[in-house]
Amino acid sequence: MYIAQILVNGILLGSVYALLGIGMTMIFGIVKLTNLAHGEFVVLGAYLSTVLAPLLGIDPILTLAITVPLMFILGFLLQYGLIGRAMKKGSEPALLVTFGLSIILQDGMLMIFSADARHIPVPYSKDTIKIGALEISVLHLVLFAISLIAILLLSLFLRNTYMGRAIRATADDADVAALSGVNINRVYAIAMGIAMASAAVAGLCVGMKWTYDPSVGGNYLLIAFVVVVIGGMGSVPGTLVAGILFGMAQVIGGASYGLLISYILLLLVLIFKPKGIFGK
Amino acid sequence: MAKRRLKGGNVRVLDSLPMLIICIALVSALYFVCLARIASNNSMRYMIQIFLYITMAEMWNLLSGFTGMTSLGQQLYIGLAGYSVAVATTKLHLTLGLGLGIGVAISVVVALVMSLLLYRMEGMYFSVATWVVAEIFEKLFLNWKYVGQGSGMTIRIVPYPRIHEICVVALTVCVFAVATVYLLLRTKVGLGLTAMRDDIGAASAVGVNVFNHKLLVYAIAAAFTAIAAGIFLVNKGIVYPESGFSISWTVSLIFIVIVGGSGTVGGPIVGSVIYVFLQEYLARFPGWSNIILGTITILTILFLPKGIVGTLQEKLGFEIFSAKRFSYAKHR
Repeated sequence: MYIAQILVNGILLGSVYALLGIGMTMIFGIVKLTNLAHGEFVVLGAYLSTVLAPLLGIDPILTLAITVPLMFILGFLLQYGLIGRAMKKGSEPALLVTFGLSIILQDGMLMIFSADARHIPVPYSKDTIKIGALEISVLHLVLFAISLIAILLLSLFLRNTYMGRAIRATADDADVAALSGVNINRVYAIAMGIAMASAAVAGLCVGMKWTYDPSVGGNYLLIAFVVVVIGGMGSVPGTLVAGILFGMAQVIGGASYGLLISYILLLLVLIFKPKGIFGK
Repeated sequence: MAKRRLKGGNVRVLDSLPMLIICIALVSALYFVCLARIASNNSMRYMIQIFLYITMAEMWNLLSGFTGMTSLGQQLYIGLAGYSVAVATTKLHLTLGLGLGIGVAISVVVALVMSLLLYRMEGMYFSVATWVVAEIFEKLFLNWKYVGQGSGMTIRIVPYPRIHEICVVALTVCVFAVATVYLLLRTKVGLGLTAMRDDIGAASAVGVNVFNHKLLVYAIAAAFTAIAAGIFLVNKGIVYPESGFSISWTVSLIFIVIVGGSGTVGGPIVGSVIYVFLQEYLARFPGWSNIILGTITILTILFLPKGIVGTLQEKLGFEIFSAKRFSYAKHR
């Protein structure tokens, strides 16, 4: 029963880790860019939801209706106006621009929101449901639902819409996609927009589950990295599996050894399957 | 003759006697300033920081700018060196020199073990793996009772080195680091490294032993980073996991190299001077420092992608510490 409990908790939490990785893996796979600002995007999403929920007097989850489009536009503009320009100079300059963005965002949030640890309060954070001997946290169930819906919507979008097909074509071969009439810069901007929108959702989940402050972006970036590399870059199912593996490691190892276990897992994956479990 | 002009016949390099004399004079002057204690303690503090940042940034530049191994994990060797010095001097009551030596030895051993892992990876994977290994060590030291867990260790050396002594040592390390990078790049190994950075497959195809070259550079970088960091942390007097193994070390090094000029030997020197003074100046505007550093990084990348030194070299056709070797010199 103990193992079942770990499995359930690992899967429920793992979906949040997968969501953290999704935005990262999209940028890797499509834009071919290592986005070092992803962690700060997540924290920004968390702050937006934290501030908006009491301001508008609505449930934190409903703030997504505002934060998701807002972050999408921000991502679109950032890619179009800034990162895209740096990409013309090569992949390393682009990487370093995202690095610059990350430290700017970090201190910007520090000035606006102060260094105090914040949290998105929800009334059901301590509630649990008992199924047999299993005890399941309601909060974890809610987070699981949000993350899974977000990932599913994204997969459906990529598979079934014209833009989704254009994005996948660009990921496979940008030059050929451009020859077939895909506006590559627009695809990149939309991909960055989607990545930031996913960061908004991930930020909400992270903020509901843990306390956060402006300096934790690096931790979430590292988690996203680990999840993405274990799963294989650009692979949505891979990210999902890797997120769940990561979640299990956290549940088994606890606060002091959870991250250690997942880092060692990452190194093992890199040694034996350098392109990730689901990598091409 | 046409080829000679094409290769930039007006590019002057350090081989020339006047440049060498200028360099020796400059270094001697710096030694004199440190030894004769002309400079105030405060300016000596800046000098120490500049010398050590130059050393670490030259090494990061050697990895990234010349070899194409963009490491996000140099803090691994910084933390290891800091703890080696702390344990050697405070717990085992050894001398500082021995402590630094142990730090370098441990770092080189770790670098050699890491090589088994890291050389399977390239580009982004390499960057992430280096960062993750540094994080692993941070977590290990956080849970290790002997080294004080999260609260870390205060470095106690009797007698504690005076600031001008630290300054002389830092300058010596810095001179050795710059000379090593410069001389290494001008050997056959250096040509191999640059070839690897530009196209690893082609380099391998024309007979560059990619693995050996990477191993050599990675170990050299680990050794110099370790000794510089050891001195840096002695100057600070304390080491704890979040400071020693912090990614912010690599953040500083990236800023220095990008602003100064990636892929030039002079770049990290200029970048370090700018960084140390900028940091001091920005301390007056709490909260703004990273915003300004980040903005400078982005503007540099967009408008001066070769950094200050790289752009100046292009404009003036004049290179200090050039890694280039010109065949025309022999045909004269």
